[in-house]
Amino acid sequence: MSPVARHGAVALGALVVAVALALTLAPRASDAVALVVVAAVAAAAGLVGSLPTVRTEHPALARAMLTVILVDAVVFATAFLSVPTDFNLATGAGMAIVLLGLSFLTGASGQISIGNGAFMGVGAFATAIWANHHATTPIVVTLLISVVVGALFGLLLGLPATRLRGPYLAGMTLAFAVAFPAILSSFSSWTGGDSGLQLPNTATAPHWLVGLFHAGTPTLTTDTLWLTDIVMVATGVAFFLMANLFASRTGRAMRLVRDNDVAAELVGVPLPRTRVIAFVISAAYAALGGALWTLLNNSVSPATYGFALSITILAVIVIGGIGTISGAIIGGVVYAYSTNVIAWFVAHTGLNPQGNLASQLNGIIFGALLIVTMMFSPMGIAGTYRHLRARRAHARERE
Amino acid sequence: MIGVDRLTVTFGAVRALREVTLRAETGQITAVLGANGAGKTTLLRTISGLVTPRSGTVSLDERVLTRLKPEEIARLGVGHVPEGRGVIAEFTVEENLRLGAIVAKVPLEEGLAQQYEAFPVLGQRRKQHAAKLSGGERQMLAMARALIARPSVLLLDEPSLGLAPLVTAQLMATVAELCATSDLTVVLVEQNASSALRIAHHAVVLNVGSVVADASAAEVAADERLRQYYLGMVE
Repeated sequence: MSPVARHGAVALGALVVAVALALTLAPRASDAVALVVVAAVAAAAGLVGSLPTVRTEHPALARAMLTVILVDAVVFATAFLSVPTDFNLATGAGMAIVLLGLSFLTGASGQISIGNGAFMGVGAFATAIWANHHATTPIVVTLLISVVVGALFGLLLGLPATRLRGPYLAGMTLAFAVAFPAILSSFSSWTGGDSGLQLPNTATAPHWLVGLFHAGTPTLTTDTLWLTDIVMVATGVAFFLMANLFASRTGRAMRLVRDNDVAAELVGVPLPRTRVIAFVISAAYAALGGALWTLLNNSVSPATYGFALSITILAVIVIGGIGTISGAIIGGVVYAYSTNVIAWFVAHTGLNPQGNLASQLNGIIFGALLIVTMMFSPMGIAGTYRHLRARRAHARERE
Repeated sequence: MIGVDRLTVTFGAVRALREVTLRAETGQITAVLGANGAGKTTLLRTISGLVTPRSGTVSLDERVLTRLKPEEIARLGVGHVPEGRGVIAEFTVEENLRLGAIVAKVPLEEGLAQQYEAFPVLGQRRKQHAAKLSGGERQMLAMARALIARPSVLLLDEPSLGLAPLVTAQLMATVAELCATSDLTVVLVEQNASSALRIAHHAVVLNVGSVVADASAAEVAADERLRQYYLGMVE
């Protein structure tokens, strides 16, 4: 059987199973139709993406198809999950975008930023401020504006980055993270001061989506579902672009700058410009994550974007695995579910922490997890997996 | 042609190069010899713009390179293979070669094919990580990476460092062949004077930052005084 035929058979089989599942699970005919469409999209993308010629000759197309499958599958799943679960997943996805930007900055170009929580806040407030002045702007445009604003802030702080290295650059971004809440409160006529901003109107699901899914409380469920899916699609686009960047000329140039800046200069890579670009991209990704959080919460509060968030971002990316794409996803999931897992742990072990301990338990366990990661798997979960796989491959080669 | 005119480089109070003047002719191998600390590496680093001279000029054909940025000089066709090679161990051979063509807008597939033809061992190991290469293979990879950008000048910094005599001889033969089959200008910095003199057309001897000899390779090789005092070639 030729590879094409084999992939075709696998895709067809998956489609049949998905259709059967849809028909048994979906309570109404229109739901079933929607699910069949979703399954068909995934199957078609899977088929195209797995063609041998596509895989070797057009890696970008293969990555695009993989993105379509993953986003499609997540969107499919969110239709069946509860509202809080959807909300949690979308929050984690927004965080994953921020982590990807930071991971790229550190893993690909070797710079460090402690200020990404503040860049996230830039995007979050840009979305809220814009929406309050121009309520009719489509969501996509608002998101793009927020990303651009984030990138401009990144440029502003990234220019000195061409002269600063290691601890000094970290110190500068740290200063931005610390100063950010103060900046917000001194522009309170724009940012709403301590109380933050509400969005003027909720992003409502389009009629066809409301018509398709009628589980639970109709409006709330479909609106949260709609927002979740917007976040998931944005996440898919962000990851797709970054995967291409990692594999591109620019991505390779950045890794060369990280590993050996002299060699980079000798092959003609301009160091300052490369470093600034990496910094700007990382800030833009952080801003996108923050903008999505604002959409998701329908409001923004300065308390969210304090210094602690920047530290949490660093902790989560280290646990997930720095410099890898999967590490950012793992980090996002860890962020979204750490509170739930800790609550479950407390409920099931019979521990009943009181007072101060109870309120700080989250931070304590997070800190302990970070220390354990640094001690036993400094490359994070994704890095350790990769290392184990490489070792297995090496062992096979020797046999 | 690379022209160096009265080049002086200082690091704090230390003079690494004092009024160094030399010419590396097109299509020839010019060996720069001398002991540790003679200023050989500094000379190459100044030519490629990594070090800014205190005074004096470097020119490529008629164009003055002094004060251009390293990446600009690289784009003008000066390929520099640094000491220690600058190969990225975690990249495959092919990924390393692609790095050489990051900025130079050259047809990549054609360039890869050319380098695999010039260095067959790289073709056999194209998918392997550079970490698995031997020292000689790494040096070839570093050279191929510089050559893929089609430079008119190749600066080689101690290519024989850490290599066995037989591997060094093979490497030198490759350099000689490269130069013979193209118009490449090669500046070869070496501590290993005898193997460099075997392939070089011209030789310059540096001592503590100053030129002490500038003559044809044959003349330098025949000069008993130079051999004994500066090149450490005692029979």
